[in-house]
Amino acid sequence: MSESRPVASDALMRVVGLDKSYGGLKAVDSVTFDVHRGEVLALVGDNGAGKSTLVKAIAGAQPPDAGHVEMEGVPVRLHTPRDAEAAGIGCLHQGLGLVDTLDVPENVFLGRELRSRFLGVVPQLDHARMRQRTIELLDRFGIHLPRLNDPVIRLSGGQRQTVAISRLLLQEVRLVIMDEPMASLGVEEGRRVLDLVRNMRERGISVIVISHNLEHVFQLADRIAVMKNGRLLDVVETAATTREAVVRMITFGEAA
Amino acid sequence: MNESPGAAAPSVAAIGHLDRRWLFEGLGLTIVIIALAVIFSLINPRFASVVNFINILTQSSYYVIIAVGMTFVITNAGIDLSVGSILALVTVIGFELIKEGMHPGLGVLVMFALGGLIGCFTGFLVSYVRIPPFIATLGMMVALRGLALVHSAGNMHYGLPSSVTWFGQGTIVGIPVPVIIAFLFALFGAWLFNHTRFGLHVRAIGGNREAARLAGVPVNRIELMVYALMGLITALGGLIMIARIDSTQATIGTSMEIHVIAAVIIGGTSLFGGRGTIYGTVLGALLLSMMTNALVIAGVDYFWQLVVMGAIVLIAVAIANLRERRVSALAFFPRSWFEGRT
Repeated sequence: MSESRPVASDALMRVVGLDKSYGGLKAVDSVTFDVHRGEVLALVGDNGAGKSTLVKAIAGAQPPDAGHVEMEGVPVRLHTPRDAEAAGIGCLHQGLGLVDTLDVPENVFLGRELRSRFLGVVPQLDHARMRQRTIELLDRFGIHLPRLNDPVIRLSGGQRQTVAISRLLLQEVRLVIMDEPMASLGVEEGRRVLDLVRNMRERGISVIVISHNLEHVFQLADRIAVMKNGRLLDVVETAATTREAVVRMITFGEAA
Repeated sequence: MNESPGAAAPSVAAIGHLDRRWLFEGLGLTIVIIALAVIFSLINPRFASVVNFINILTQSSYYVIIAVGMTFVITNAGIDLSVGSILALVTVIGFELIKEGMHPGLGVLVMFALGGLIGCFTGFLVSYVRIPPFIATLGMMVALRGLALVHSAGNMHYGLPSSVTWFGQGTIVGIPVPVIIAFLFALFGAWLFNHTRFGLHVRAIGGNREAARLAGVPVNRIELMVYALMGLITALGGLIMIARIDSTQATIGTSMEIHVIAAVIIGGTSLFGGRGTIYGTVLGALLLSMMTNALVIAGVDYFWQLVVMGAIVLIAVAIANLRERRVSALAFFPRSWFEGRT
């Protein structure tokens, strides 16, 4: 992916001077960067580099000590996951946040149920419409799940990811944060998730991916942000760098 | 690709949804019930009469009703040991008010209000004070039984007006009213469980409390409502029970909770929360009533019946654990019963 983009005007999200300390340790140290509309930005760095703390702040899971986040130029308050959701930021946690015992449409629509009226009066769940919309959501991404009415615990890791992502798409998110999405998946499943991410990008959804797997990062990302010791070293165009250069940055902290 | 959008017309999808829940979950149990009925009939022909079958259905009616409520509680990853005591307190108070001249309709209303309020209080203890459900409802079980005894120690109440006893003794086209009420109530319960937002939220909380909370489910409020509902339903079961036997006393409903919980477990509802079936619960309650009836007909002593009932519960839990692949005896009962809410 080597389209060159104008840097500032295309920014969906701008993170400005974000700080977060635990005790005396600066986990995130005045980090500033942009996320462009419809780009995949990979966040890489060693364990403890501050990646997770950074995305937790953006996802509203852990408010930062200082700094702020703007969406399309407007500062947004991100103190709870609800705030993030309202701002169009969705987060795919490693646990995915699914209820194992519920089926696919029930998981996709939990908390945002579609209802009809039984006998024209009493509100009840509209299983048929939720199922239909789930199929449409999945279909848009070319995904087919064989048994929608089974509890999601019977689905594979990749299929569960799809269900979780469908939840986010239903919320009309503009930015999706994925924390190690391919970590526990097989090769084939991992490839499907890669396709899914590309598909989101084509629809203008921006994606921040945390990953240790540089092969995936180079296949997927438009730009790569490298963190070390809480600081953002650099954000580089994937097409303008090499794996060796990125590894050097991660390990020795040398800006390219 | 047998599930393209065009192929799944909404109505067909809805029926498919119903089918799976109703057919598969109850099939094995239905077969067991029929097989047992045949065996009992072969052993003792008196079991096989129409009168006896109607008798079994009538006896099971209040267990069916209360077990439907317990299905919500257990699916919500909770437990309610206090149902027998709620039933006792609500019925002794309601009975006395009506006997003292209160309008029967109003008396019944007081019973429901009292049951609902007690349930609210239990729910408050569990979801806001964060007392683990096993302990909270154990405390309520003892305290409410105490209150019932304080209210009418040793007194036997009897002599309800016929407008009340009709709920337990009346018939409509030959079918006992309690059976009709239990049947309609089970249908309502299944609808509430599978087809309402409340039911979905109950199942979600039992399946993964944290995920439900993140998805925006009002976890504490729903949990409080589940116990309130349980109290209301217990009042309904109590009403039918005292209407049928036209009497009540402070010790009524003793060890009822074990009977009701057993019905739910046998029905296939997961003790660990998240998965439940109203249809299975109804079958479970029927199965237990049938076994009790067979023991009575066979002349087995009441004390031995208790032993058998306890054994059935333990076997049912053991089978349920195997079914869920939890083979360790240490995992016999769910931790969620003994943990405070977060």
